[in-house]
Amino acid sequence: MPYKNFKNGVIRMNAEKAMEKILDSYPAKVMKNRKKHMLIKKSDEKQEITANTRTIPGIITNRGCCYAGCKGVVVGPLIDMVHIVHGPIGCSYYTWNTRRNKGKATRGEKNFLHYCFSTDMQESDIVFGGEKKLRQAIKEAVEIFKPEAITISATCPVGLIGDDIHTVAAEAEKEYGIKVVAFSCEGYKGVSQSAGHHIANNGLMKHIIGTGNDEKIPYSINLLGEYNIGGDEWEISRILTKIGYNIISTMTGNGSYERLKNAHNADLNLVQCHRSINYVADMIEKKYGTPWLKVNFIGIQSTIETLRNMAKYFGDEDLIKRTEEVIAEELADIKDEMEYYRNMCSGKTAMLFVGGSRAHHYQDLFKDLGIETVLAGYEFAHRDDYEGRDVLPHIQIDADSRNIEELHVEKDEKRYRLYLSPEKLEQLKKEMPLSNYEGLIKASKENTVIIDDLNHFETEEFIKALKPDVFGSGIKDKYVIQKMGVFSKQMHSYDYSGPYAGFKGAVNFARDISAGIFTPAWSYVVPPWKKEPLLEASMVEKEVG
Amino acid sequence: MSKRNFTNLNMNPCKMCMPMGAAIAFKGIEGCMMLLHGSQGCSTYIRRHIATHYNEPMDIASSSLNEKGTIYGGARDLKKGLKNLIKLYNPQIIGISTTCLAETIGEDIDNIVKDFIEEENIKDIQFITASTPGYGGSHYEGYYYALRKIVEHQTNISYPNNTLNIIVGNISPANVRQIKKWLKDFGIQYTLLPDISNTLDAPFNNSYKKITPGGTSLEDIKKMSGAKATIEIGLFVPEKYSPGKYLEDTYGVPLYRCPLPIGIENTDYFFNILSEISEKEIPQEYLEERGRMLDAMIDSHKYNSEGKATIFGDPEIVYAITKLCMENGIEPRIVATGTKSDLLKKMLIEDLCQKNYNSVVLENADFDTIHSYIKKNSINLLIGHSDGKFIEEKENIPLIRIGFPIHDRVGGQRLLTIGYEGSTRLLDTITNTLLQRKYSSYRSDLYRRYYLTSVDYSELK
Repeated sequence: MPYKNFKNGVIRMNAEKAMEKILDSYPAKVMKNRKKHMLIKKSDEKQEITANTRTIPGIITNRGCCYAGCKGVVVGPLIDMVHIVHGPIGCSYYTWNTRRNKGKATRGEKNFLHYCFSTDMQESDIVFGGEKKLRQAIKEAVEIFKPEAITISATCPVGLIGDDIHTVAAEAEKEYGIKVVAFSCEGYKGVSQSAGHHIANNGLMKHIIGTGNDEKIPYSINLLGEYNIGGDEWEISRILTKIGYNIISTMTGNGSYERLKNAHNADLNLVQCHRSINYVADMIEKKYGTPWLKVNFIGIQSTIETLRNMAKYFGDEDLIKRTEEVIAEELADIKDEMEYYRNMCSGKTAMLFVGGSRAHHYQDLFKDLGIETVLAGYEFAHRDDYEGRDVLPHIQIDADSRNIEELHVEKDEKRYRLYLSPEKLEQLKKEMPLSNYEGLIKASKENTVIIDDLNHFETEEFIKALKPDVFGSGIKDKYVIQKMGVFSKQMHSYDYSGPYAGFKGAVNFARDISAGIFTPAWSYVVPPWKKEPLLEASMVEKEVG
Repeated sequence: MSKRNFTNLNMNPCKMCMPMGAAIAFKGIEGCMMLLHGSQGCSTYIRRHIATHYNEPMDIASSSLNEKGTIYGGARDLKKGLKNLIKLYNPQIIGISTTCLAETIGEDIDNIVKDFIEEENIKDIQFITASTPGYGGSHYEGYYYALRKIVEHQTNISYPNNTLNIIVGNISPANVRQIKKWLKDFGIQYTLLPDISNTLDAPFNNSYKKITPGGTSLEDIKKMSGAKATIEIGLFVPEKYSPGKYLEDTYGVPLYRCPLPIGIENTDYFFNILSEISEKEIPQEYLEERGRMLDAMIDSHKYNSEGKATIFGDPEIVYAITKLCMENGIEPRIVATGTKSDLLKKMLIEDLCQKNYNSVVLENADFDTIHSYIKKNSINLLIGHSDGKFIEEKENIPLIRIGFPIHDRVGGQRLLTIGYEGSTRLLDTITNTLLQRKYSSYRSDLYRRYYLTSVDYSELK
């Protein structure tokens, strides 16, 4: 095997030393702040991290805004709703199909995914208010598309000038007899897109979930926190359907209003991205009694584990048998290809800085390829995403989070249903992550650098110190990383590839990663730091005052 | 047309917001970093979109204003942001643009920056502020307005000098390099603003720098007030946003406004100005290029006459490409821009009428409107930026990608489309696109049309 143990003569700095050096190069105040946001995984201690705090102005953050989390991430992928963005043109334009969330109508729904709707507010609307324009925009949308449902997402100016989008929504709902849901997700709310996820979750729960009248079906599940980037959801549902599950709804990739309405009917909720959708999972459990299972369909071993957990939850012998058959079948299909790529990639190292779950999920897929993850960081996660949900009661709510509504739901006496007895549920909780997420730290290997809201300076310095073979991140730092001579894989849009989930997706990922690491261009560029273990850079401290 | 009142619901926009344009403009200044005063999402979205087009690092800082800032004002966050930006990047110049949020709460960035400079006793960093609310216009206006603010901030009355100011529109780095080559060949000393030729298309080398080398230097910008003339590629820029107009009004620098040098007439116009200002003959090399372009036009005219195009994008590029199409017998059936521009409409309609084209010209249009016209006309070419891809896919009409943004193909930053050579290349691409369609179907078309009509079609199946 020509590629095996291809180490490139690289000398890496040890993680503790690298972190120490980076912190040392900060001014005292920034150092104190940043120190709390990073750690090196040690399984013999209980480790804490600071997260979901205000972004430091002026550093080049990768974080987005509240609107991005609400409309861009959670609400936008629903295919059959007309998503009107109330605001100036940019915000709507920037979320026009940019996340590659795909969707196909399966129940005869309409599909508006290729559209981008904006009220295109002008200066006069800011001065005189934009409600009239919004009303007209809804009217036009109804006349042209006759949608079953509409969403309205607010941008920064809307809250400031006091446009009451909720009243407009309520009036439109009455007038046109369709569902109209407004989201007050002005960009300045919260500290990152995470606030927007929460607002979107609240809206879906309050206005959509539980409003459908479909009959219950057996072995039914919802797939939460899966956004069908590059077709991931299609691969996941292919496997689940093959085993015999009935997917009621997906939140929200390839999802629809039509299907979401009946989400309360499921026997089990699967949570892929914990950060963006855990509120809905939690609220459904409280209101309708459906527990949720933390799943991971990224990676072969993790997909297998997830499938086995699901089968165990349902406890049906035939289902368990069928699950094993499907796993065996799927594995046989991909075995040779995975073996080939594993031989190429084995021994390589990776760094991951993505979102609120992928830095965890993709570690598993890298592991399948023999690639070790040496640094993992979340962009907008909360402490529970790192430390596990056990920490939830201990998180202090700060002013930024307090402004986001905490929706309290009550038990729906009529429709509340337990699929399993409380005793059985408690027993299963010991065996699988049922209504629980144990977090990134636990999932990571010993000595992995765990870092929150990694900034540009740290990205560069950690690359120089740890010299990864691949850095999984987003488009904004992709070209910085590549200018440094390191292969960068976009983990948000997959560089227009995918799917990467499930069994077939794993092969796609393996192929893309191998091609990326071994592309001939890299042999023409060997940056000096790839040979030198030293970390000399320090932040330029310029005299300001 | 449809009864829709286009002012309320913009469907599939053909424009972006003002700070987007400002970000590209600031990127062409040497040692410059940009900070957007407002929600951090604005920086993030704009960085993302610029990075996908240029495939280059694009760092824009943000003051990360949050809810508290909307109540108490954002001065504290802006100052903190500036302080950190200076520490991290050590820039010579900081461009500060506002967003919807900052403008709606009425932030006085000029004063905040003034306070900051005093409080921190800053002597060696220049600050340039530009008020660019998203609702104030499109990226087209934001681009020129930021340039105007750069000129306003950095020029003073100076001694006359022998340089030429050249203000380029939002064109590719490759095109900027091409203009610099012309100026060099004419022996003209110049200040080109903004120079993104390196900053947004940097060669790979072993030393990555946080602030990409290149860009227009401050020293050169200061000379602009004493230049002998300004060429501004920007026919449709409102005067209040025009840096060239400012230089003319304030310092009396003669202003030549000209279209993008795409197409033979526009390029002739541009080269004639260069010749006039430099008082030099057009170099032989370019006369030969012109001759080759003419030769190419003649060679491919028979194919081009089948072209029925829809052209969309920024006013400048739309105007220039429409001219190129007309020169080559390609019918510009639908011409559209997302920006408000009565002038573009007026000028194009005049030109089109003269050539007896019965075309539709749309300004302040969205893609849904453009699409509705396409459906009613037999169009076989789309020429414009990547956002036309939805129409391309739906109507199966090929899209020739030019302008900004090109995010679903590589090489937007390397597209050479100006001058005789660039126009010829672009024309070849257009002609070949028509030919590709022709070759893929003409045999079967002929067969069906002339042979099958005499045979019972159903029996052949």
